[in-house]
Amino acid sequence: MKKLPLEGVRVADLSMMWAGPFATRLLGEMGAEVVKIESPRAWDNVRTLLPQPGATEPWNTSYYFNDYNRDKKSLTLDLSQPRGRALFLELVAKSDCVIENYRADVLDKLGIGYEVLRQARPDVILVSMAGFGKTGPEKGLVGFGPIIEQMAGMASTTGYGDDGVPYKTGISYGDPIGGIAAAGAVVLALIARRRTGLGAWIDLAQRETMAQMLGPAFAAASLRGESPVHRGNRDPRFAPQGVYRALGGDQWVAISARDDGEWRALARTVGASALESLDLSERSARHDELDRRIEAWTLARGPREAAETLQRAGVAAAPVLDCNAIHEDPQLAARGSWVELPHPKTKTWKQPASAWRLVEAKSLPRRHAPLFGEHNREILCGLLGHAERELAALSAAGIIGDAPIGAREG
Amino acid sequence: MIAAMGEELPLAGVRVLEIGGGLPAAFATRWMVGFGADVVRSEPARETLGRDEQAFLLPGKRRVGATPRELRALALAADIVVEDGEPGALAARGLDPTALRREKPSLVVASLTPFGQTGPAAGWRATNLVAHAMGGILSLTGVVPRPPLQNGFSQAWMLLGLNGFSAALAAYYGSLVHGEGDWIDLSAQECAAGMLELYGPRAAFERTEAPRLGNRVHAIWGIFKCEDGFAGVCALQRQAPAFFAMSGDPALADPRYLDPGYRLTVDVELGTHVARWFADKKKRDVLELGEKHKVPMGAVQTPLDLVHSAGLEERGFFDTVRTPSGDARVPGRPFEGLPWHVGELHGPAADTDAVRHDWLGARA
Repeated sequence: MKKLPLEGVRVADLSMMWAGPFATRLLGEMGAEVVKIESPRAWDNVRTLLPQPGATEPWNTSYYFNDYNRDKKSLTLDLSQPRGRALFLELVAKSDCVIENYRADVLDKLGIGYEVLRQARPDVILVSMAGFGKTGPEKGLVGFGPIIEQMAGMASTTGYGDDGVPYKTGISYGDPIGGIAAAGAVVLALIARRRTGLGAWIDLAQRETMAQMLGPAFAAASLRGESPVHRGNRDPRFAPQGVYRALGGDQWVAISARDDGEWRALARTVGASALESLDLSERSARHDELDRRIEAWTLARGPREAAETLQRAGVAAAPVLDCNAIHEDPQLAARGSWVELPHPKTKTWKQPASAWRLVEAKSLPRRHAPLFGEHNREILCGLLGHAERELAALSAAGIIGDAPIGAREG
Repeated sequence: MIAAMGEELPLAGVRVLEIGGGLPAAFATRWMVGFGADVVRSEPARETLGRDEQAFLLPGKRRVGATPRELRALALAADIVVEDGEPGALAARGLDPTALRREKPSLVVASLTPFGQTGPAAGWRATNLVAHAMGGILSLTGVVPRPPLQNGFSQAWMLLGLNGFSAALAAYYGSLVHGEGDWIDLSAQECAAGMLELYGPRAAFERTEAPRLGNRVHAIWGIFKCEDGFAGVCALQRQAPAFFAMSGDPALADPRYLDPGYRLTVDVELGTHVARWFADKKKRDVLELGEKHKVPMGAVQTPLDLVHSAGLEERGFFDTVRTPSGDARVPGRPFEGLPWHVGELHGPAADTDAVRHDWLGARA
C-alpha cells in the first residue's frame, strides 16, 4: 500500500477547541502520528462542551470532540507540575513538531516556550496560533473564530445590503481557516528543515490568515479607499444571481447566470422567454424584477428538482444543503465523502472523509478519536521508555489520568 | 516580530505550474510563490481575475503563453501542478494526471473543482455561490426568515485554494520523503462539508436541524450594534463570570446569569441587556475591556480600517505591490517564522521565453 505523505512525522499537539485540533486532524489524515496532550485538570473544553444526556463518560462520547480529533492519540499530562513538563519535553525530543493555540502568553507561563523546546530538540518546529499573534500591540486580545472574523474584516464584507448590518459566518469560520493554514505551515517548515536542518517557530496569527481570505479587498481599500459593499447574494459579474426560495419550509436554491447563454436558458426554463435578449447591464438594472420571475418558478418545486432541471438546461444552480441534507447528498454519497468509525463508547455517525483526497494513497480516516488518556501507557512506557510502575505514581499525583478531574461536577 | 530561521526561502528551487487561471488555483499558489517557489502561471484563454484579485494573487508569478505541447513539457518539468479546470479538462489538453504521474512519479497534481472529479454532480456548472450552496456553510449564514447569505469575497473558491496550498505541499513533502507524489482531487463541497463546526456532526449524530441564527448564537456569543459600528463577544462558560463582572451593568449583575442552564431560559431577555450594554460603547473600549479581563471580545473592522492598522503594520503583515493604478497594500506572509519574498506583478505572457529557457532548456 502506498504510504501517506506524512508517515514518520510525529506531532505533539497541545491545541484545544477547534482551530488547532482541525490542523492536527488534517495532519493525522495525511499520516502523521498526532499525540494530543491534555491535562487531567485542563482538558480540551470541547470534550465536555455538549455532554450527551445520561452519558457516564461525557468526555469520551462527545460527537463534537470525536469528529475533530480522530486519528490522534491521547496523552494526559499536567504541564503545571514539573514532572509533567519534564515528560512533555521527553516527548518533544522525539517529535518533529509542537503545535499550540493557547492565548499568546500561556506557553511561556507554562515554562515550555520555544527556547525551552529547542533545548529538548534543536530542530523542533513550533507552530503557535494565537488569535492575534505572539507580537504586536494586539497580542493580548483573546479570540475565538467569530472574533477573528470581525477583526480580520470578513464580517464587514458580508451582509444583505439593505440594513447596513455586517454578518458573521454561521460557523466559527476563523478556526478552520487558521487550522488549514497551520497544517500547511507545518508541512512548509518540514520541507525547509529537510533542506536546511533548521527548525522554526511559526507565529500564525489567526486574524492574519483570515484576512488573507479577502485579500483583494485590501487592494481595493488601499488603491481607491473603498469600503466593502454588502451585495447580499449578488455578484456584479453574474446577473441574475441569488438564493431563491423553493418548495417546503426554509428550502432554497442558488442560481447564477454566468453569461448571456446561461441567461437565455434560465429565462426559457422559468417562463421568461420574453426577457432572454437582455444583456448583463440590463439584467443587473432589472435584477429585482428578474428575481421575482425566477422565484415564482422555484417556489413550485423542491430545491434539488429545481437545481437539476436548471443544470440540465445548462444553468449553474444547486440546492442549498443544510446540515441534514448534506448527509444525504447523492454527490457526497457517490464519492464516499462520509465514513463511520466504530467507537467503543458511543454509536457511529457519518463523519467527513478527508477533504484532501489523495487518489493513489487513499487518505481515509482510520481510527476514532482517542479516549481520555487512552495512550498514556503506549507513549510513556512504549515511546519514552518509562517503567509501568511509574504510571501509578503519576496517576496518584494527578499528572496523568483517564478522566478529567472535576468533569463529573460540570 | 518572530525571526525567521535561516535566510533561504523554504520553497526555493521548487517548480509549480498553475493552470486554469481561476481564483482557487491562483490562491493555492499565492503563498507558494511568496515562500520562494518558481510559480509559472499558464495564461488562461480568457482572464477571469479582476484587477484587485490580480494585485493580490499574481505578484511574483511568471506568466507564460504555452502551446499544448509546451504545456505538457512544463507539467513534466514541474514538481507541483495546480489546476482548477473542469473535471477532465486537463486530460482533454493531453495532461491526464494519471498519465503525467506515470511518466514522472514524483509529480504532485492538485485538481481543484467545485464538486470533485467524480460523482453525479462532478460536471455541474458552478459559480462561487453555487459551489458554496452545496457545502453547508451557506445554509448556516444569515438569518431566518431571510435567505441563506454568502460571505464576502468568494469564500468557496478561497477555501478551496487554501486547502489546495496545504494539501499540495503535504503531498510534495511525501514526494520528497517517499519518492512518490500523488494526484489530489479537491472538491470545494467536501472542503466545506468537513468543517461545519458542531452543526455538521450534531446533525449526523442527532438529526438535529441547525437554523440560521444571524449574529446571535446566544446572549453572550454574537455581534451587537455599538456606538461607532458593531462589536462582539464570544464567551464560553469559563469566561462568563469575567464578562458579567467587567460590564459594571446592574442589569447584568444577576448571579443566576452565571448558571448556563438558567441563561438559556432567559436568553432573549439577557440578550436585550447585553445589546443595551454594547449600545453606548465604542469599539476601542470594547477591545480594551476584553483584553484587560481576558474575555473574547472583538470589533467589526473593515479592510480600510485594517490597511491603516498599527498592529498589522508593526507585525509586517502587508506587502506593497506596484500596479498600473498605483501601489496596492495586500496581505503578505500568512505567518511569521519562515523567509518570505515580496514579488512584482508581471505582464500577461511576459515570461514565456524565459520560462521556456529555464524549464525546457529552449533557446530564447
